[in-house]
Amino acid sequence: MEGGGDENNPIVTVDDDEEDGIVQQYDEEITQEDTWAVISAHFEEKGLVRQQLDSFDEFVNTTMQHIVDESEDIVVHDTEPQKSSTTTKISFDQLYFTKPMITEADGDTATLFPKAARLRNMTYSGALFVDVKKQVTKIGQDCEEEVTEENTKVFIGKVPIMVRSTSCNLFKCQNIEKDLVEHGECPYDQGGYFIINGSEKVLIAQEKMSTNQVYVFKKKQPNKYSYIAEVRSMAESQVKPLRSMFVRLLSKGGCIRVTLPFIQSEIPMAVVFRALGFIPDKAILEHICYDLEDPEMMELLQPSLEEAFVIQSEEVALDYIGKRGSVPGASKEKRIKFAEDILAKEMVPHAVGAGGEGHCKTKKAYYVGYVIHRLLLCALGRRPEDDRDHYKNKRLDLAGPLLGGLFRKLFSKLTKDLKKYAQKCVESGKDVDLLFGINAITITRGLIYSLSTGNWGLLDGAGTRPGVSQVLNRLTYASTLSHLRRLNSPIGREGKLVKPRQLHNSQWGMICPAETPEGQACGLVKNLALMVHITVGSSTDSILEFLEDWSIENFVDISPAVILKATKIFVNGCWVGIHRSPEDLVKDLRQLRREGDVNSELGIVRDIHFQELRLYTDYGRCSRPLFIVENQRLLIKKRDIKNLQQRPEGGKWNKLVTKGYIEYIDTEEEETTMIAMTIHDLVVARSEPEKACSDTYTHCEIHPSMILGVCASIIPFPNHNQSPRNTYQSAMGKQAMGMYATNYQLRMDTLAHVLYYPQKPLVTTRAMEHLHFRQLPAGINAIVAIACYSGYNQEDSVIMNQSSIDRGFFRSLFFRTYRDEEKKMGTLVREEFGRPNRESTVGMRPGSYDKLDVDGFAPLGTRVSGGDAIIGKTTPFAEEECQRLPSKYKGRDHSMTLRQSESGMVDQVMLTTNDDGLRFVKVRMRTVRIPQIGDKFSSRHGQKGTVGMTYTQEDMPWTVEGITPDIIVNPHAIPSRMTIGHLIECIMGKVSAQAGKEGDATPFTNVTVGDIGTALHKCGYQMRGFETMYNGHTGRCLTAKIFIGPTYYQRLKHMVDDKIHSRGRGPVQILTRQPVEGRSRDGGLRFGEMERDCLIAHGAAHFLKERLFDQSDAYRVHVCERCGLIAIANLKKPTFECRRCKTRDGIVQVHIPYACKLLFQELMAMAITPRMLTKEFKPSMENEKKGT
Amino acid sequence: MEGAKNQRFPKIKIREMKDDYLKFELRETDASMANALRRVMLAEVPTIAIDLVEIEVNSTVLNDEFISHRLGLIPLTSDRAMDMRFSRDCDACDGDGQCEYCSVEFHLSVRCDQDQTQDVTSADLQSTDPTVVPVDVAARSSSSGYDASENRGIIIVKLRRGQELRLRAIARKGIGKDHAKWSPAATVTFMYEPEIRINEELMESLSLEEKNSWIESSPTKVFGIDPNTHQVMVVDAEAYTYDEEVIKKAEAMGKPGLVEIEAKEDSFIFTVESTGAVKASQLVINAIDVLKQKLDAVRLSDDTVEADDQFGELGSHMRGG
Repeated sequence: MEGGGDENNPIVTVDDDEEDGIVQQYDEEITQEDTWAVISAHFEEKGLVRQQLDSFDEFVNTTMQHIVDESEDIVVHDTEPQKSSTTTKISFDQLYFTKPMITEADGDTATLFPKAARLRNMTYSGALFVDVKKQVTKIGQDCEEEVTEENTKVFIGKVPIMVRSTSCNLFKCQNIEKDLVEHGECPYDQGGYFIINGSEKVLIAQEKMSTNQVYVFKKKQPNKYSYIAEVRSMAESQVKPLRSMFVRLLSKGGCIRVTLPFIQSEIPMAVVFRALGFIPDKAILEHICYDLEDPEMMELLQPSLEEAFVIQSEEVALDYIGKRGSVPGASKEKRIKFAEDILAKEMVPHAVGAGGEGHCKTKKAYYVGYVIHRLLLCALGRRPEDDRDHYKNKRLDLAGPLLGGLFRKLFSKLTKDLKKYAQKCVESGKDVDLLFGINAITITRGLIYSLSTGNWGLLDGAGTRPGVSQVLNRLTYASTLSHLRRLNSPIGREGKLVKPRQLHNSQWGMICPAETPEGQACGLVKNLALMVHITVGSSTDSILEFLEDWSIENFVDISPAVILKATKIFVNGCWVGIHRSPEDLVKDLRQLRREGDVNSELGIVRDIHFQELRLYTDYGRCSRPLFIVENQRLLIKKRDIKNLQQRPEGGKWNKLVTKGYIEYIDTEEEETTMIAMTIHDLVVARSEPEKACSDTYTHCEIHPSMILGVCASIIPFPNHNQSPRNTYQSAMGKQAMGMYATNYQLRMDTLAHVLYYPQKPLVTTRAMEHLHFRQLPAGINAIVAIACYSGYNQEDSVIMNQSSIDRGFFRSLFFRTYRDEEKKMGTLVREEFGRPNRESTVGMRPGSYDKLDVDGFAPLGTRVSGGDAIIGKTTPFAEEECQRLPSKYKGRDHSMTLRQSESGMVDQVMLTTNDDGLRFVKVRMRTVRIPQIGDKFSSRHGQKGTVGMTYTQEDMPWTVEGITPDIIVNPHAIPSRMTIGHLIECIMGKVSAQAGKEGDATPFTNVTVGDIGTALHKCGYQMRGFETMYNGHTGRCLTAKIFIGPTYYQRLKHMVDDKIHSRGRGPVQILTRQPVEGRSRDGGLRFGEMERDCLIAHGAAHFLKERLFDQSDAYRVHVCERCGLIAIANLKKPTFECRRCKTRDGIVQVHIPYACKLLFQELMAMAITPRMLTKEFKPSMENEKKGT
Repeated sequence: MEGAKNQRFPKIKIREMKDDYLKFELRETDASMANALRRVMLAEVPTIAIDLVEIEVNSTVLNDEFISHRLGLIPLTSDRAMDMRFSRDCDACDGDGQCEYCSVEFHLSVRCDQDQTQDVTSADLQSTDPTVVPVDVAARSSSSGYDASENRGIIIVKLRRGQELRLRAIARKGIGKDHAKWSPAATVTFMYEPEIRINEELMESLSLEEKNSWIESSPTKVFGIDPNTHQVMVVDAEAYTYDEEVIKKAEAMGKPGLVEIEAKEDSFIFTVESTGAVKASQLVINAIDVLKQKLDAVRLSDDTVEADDQFGELGSHMRGG
């Protein structure tokens, strides 16, 4: 709240000629500054993880019930015919969903809050109950008996709940800071994740191609086909799996062929029409090219008609299709029935629409005709090829749809199991016990499995997607937010195709142009822009009803000839009819949407050129809010802004939408709009129409800086940087340490970094207010000089002021949590926490156990170092083990020791019980990390560097005022990287520090370097930020003027203390006796292939041998000279013997790598004899010997 | 001192003196001398600061290390520091640093029993030595130079109801080189006295407007214009920061050589700001003492004698002869 906000006076005043004298006139146009009030209203109401919450709420409120309703009733018949027959029918009805509850081992139940779930490694889930009806109909010889049993609220499983969704226990304290704090939550945490076994899991939105769309692609020649049209069709109910249809235009001959599901070979286009009952050529042509006077198109259709000339009846056509089905050798009737089924159910199922089965054939014929029409348009060059990467063709699967899909599978598994059980019961004449038959674990386990591993799908099922659920990143607050808004395209990372990775024009405003990882996932993993709204989807019923009222013409009533004159109307890709005055229809639809009479998510796309009106209500479309413009004037007025600013209550944004000032435009509709970039553009369009870009603006951007995502919004002046630098910073901002949550002391994260003295940046962006960057910052305003100064800052290193470090500059806390539990071994025996006793415990490590208290845990405040035991635990012996060992031993040590390379203090110990009622402990260790040589730092412009040297204050250069820099970066870091934003941030920082105000560095505003320079000059500094500095060592003036000023710096999580590693000798692998790998195991440093190549090139043979042999796995074996195999040697006696050759002489010693010896023995196990011949091999001599 | 031919006798002229602020001129010496003085003031004048903390109870939001670090940074009145011993070479206590010659003990015990947030400040630190107390506490009692009502002490930590902080701290003598907490100076800076010569002839060729814009080009107020004669004159030469803006401006106006500015190599204007541990004036005196001791150490050390033999003639240079 404090700081920025509305009364944030810009330090640099930009002439705003519109502002004067119009304050009273509330009807006046708003200014660009006023849009921030609108943006604030948006974020206050929506937060930053709205897509996750909305999506999950939709799943809980409607999707789950839908899935249950759609499921078929379970019907089981008694198979014994002689007796009376009974039929058991089980149907599911109303669902009930509870808030998260916890049942302790002693049977107590209580409300479960996220804090407890996190700390005690539990799953934050609500129980799901369903009403089940069982109907048993007995038909005896004489009577019919029906028994209905209704089981209300049968438990069918637990469903994980998204934190802060409507089903969450925290929902009622929404945004009431005090309540949240009382529940141990951070008031800035916005939820949007699940808690599975104590770890926070995010569902990453999955991008997919939109279904039910016709895509026409041109094939690169030479190819069998010249053009291909494809439709991936999915009926609205989503019960049926995806069905694709392809229509291809042959390069040779120009015939059009159709590929249908379950039909192996391609079917000539005309055969499909004839199978649908459209026999004459004219009927077919009418459905395809509407205008029979179109000679070009008719010509293209000619070969296809000729091809199917022999098939002239529906029956023959169906048989033709049926013959090519999967069942060979079926009778003709069966084939025809099969073909009819395919056409009715499997071919483009969505084209039937929600309206039901009526006139199915006509609808499908029109739809197939339309697909071919599109193909031909493209072939004729009248319509461009479709763009796979256009964002209108993408849909995002968020938590809701993802969970929905999983729940559907699990629920059907549950019903299948129930059916099996019911069948068994009925067969054995027992009563069907529903409570016993419904296995609730199916859903509970299934959901937890997918959410905890990230493998989306059933445990045993095929086609699981990895990485859908990820552990929420808690390094810094921005990284958490960014993680909750991440997007993944499940395309192979190895694919060489660059197109899907590139930024597409249509992603403007939807996807952050800067924030994407580098390397393999570049461009495939994306992040949502700040104001994006992802549609949750709604039923098409209301839209269809509306269209009915608005007299659209149905296929039954029309003749194909009128299509040409009318506009085709599609709802979610399904052609529902035509309309003759689309202009009015669209106008009315828009009006209704703006008034809120139809869902504001509805997408209305009018394609004037191709005479189409496409309406969308499906889920997963990206949309964003825009100001509505009419007559080159915004509908929102100054008075509305005043209302926003004066009234503090919520729901302000929603009011703006329902009042029709703002509407959500999706990617496809965006193509049909004219959007002004700034309000100024509209002013120009009115005053000087000849200079305007458009005379028919329909919308205006709220603010162009809203195209950025979470991480890119933290960058000051990103519009002055070279674009990859913004990408680098977006990645680095996630590694910066700061304050990741206000409740960090109440959390037990496995790893956490917290900055001692985080500061809010001097130079801010407007978006930061909504990202809470001021409240939870991740950096310090450091005084940065750009100078060489001794040269200890070459190659991206920096010089840091040791005195500043002493005073607490960039000090940070590091927490690591260790956890352990008393596992159950069998039914009676249990592991036990406690201080292990050397007398009665086997397997104790040499390290120190005396830091443990009697309870087995190191007490708070204990200084612990690498290898110290911090959780003492002993495991009692199993039966057989008891007998083998002396009786004084009671158990085996299983204590947890501190990591070898770390040390610190015990910060917190928490002892509790987990879900299974087992004792369970978490111990948090704390260390202070003081910046030192080798630690990594970065500015907000992708300028990272490690500390190369620290100098005390007196050694640092100083200015006349006595200012010494905290950080000195090398000037060579600037020119090639072109991070001008870095420099502007610095001078603006200087002005801000002088003025005592925050500087505004939001991109796309009209602040210029000149303005800032003038302001700096007024403060008594050189206007470009240069200052004369004096050498700290000598006291002489530095010849060059030094660019110095406050710049916001971040401390990154990579620190030398976590990386430093060396080894002389140490542990080796058991199998190969080569050094182990990895710093944590005190492993060796790899001498790799390239290093090897290098030594070979140098001819350093002895050194090479030393590295690869002596320092690795040197070994010695004794070899029989005669047979060349390993012999027996007893060095103590000493006796040498080769039993194979029955000889005691001719045994020699050979030095070989242990891995080599291992290989020989493995070969011998495979009946291959590797012989080590120690003498020069002379085949002639050998033969002679044999001869004698 | 014997045998120095070109010996100079630096002069100091004090311009402004407050408890924590001193501005003086240092003349007739060179940059090495001035810089040595500056460096010693920053890093080698000893003060007293909390160095060891034994925490008995800490139920505050900040952890032990955090509080200890904050305690260390509280400036303590260190007039005794020059006479105290470094605990590492204290004979009285074998260097474990707990005797009156080398250490001062502090106690702090605060508990919050109210609903409002309670501040733990430097004022809560109980010293065993009345001469070594937190600077702001001393200032409050003497009420000189500071506005006592404004002074609430340096905040160490804030307490909520039920939280408590109880500890024992030992302050020791140290120097800023070892840790910045022992640095007595907030800022020590000097500048070369500038010598500004305006080319009057060339200046007169400028119009009043040009003159004004030339004057304006300097970010600091160095030049002014006489309202009557319209003559440009130096108002405050020392305000000049060697930014060379006026020279560049003159060149841009096509009048190179309009002004000549040179730094006097032997005159320095020092500004010293103290943390309050010692008075600014005392700081300079202490610094000179320390500097003298250091020079004596160089002159008298065995190394120097050795160096004499080793380097022959060079050796005498090293001794400062």
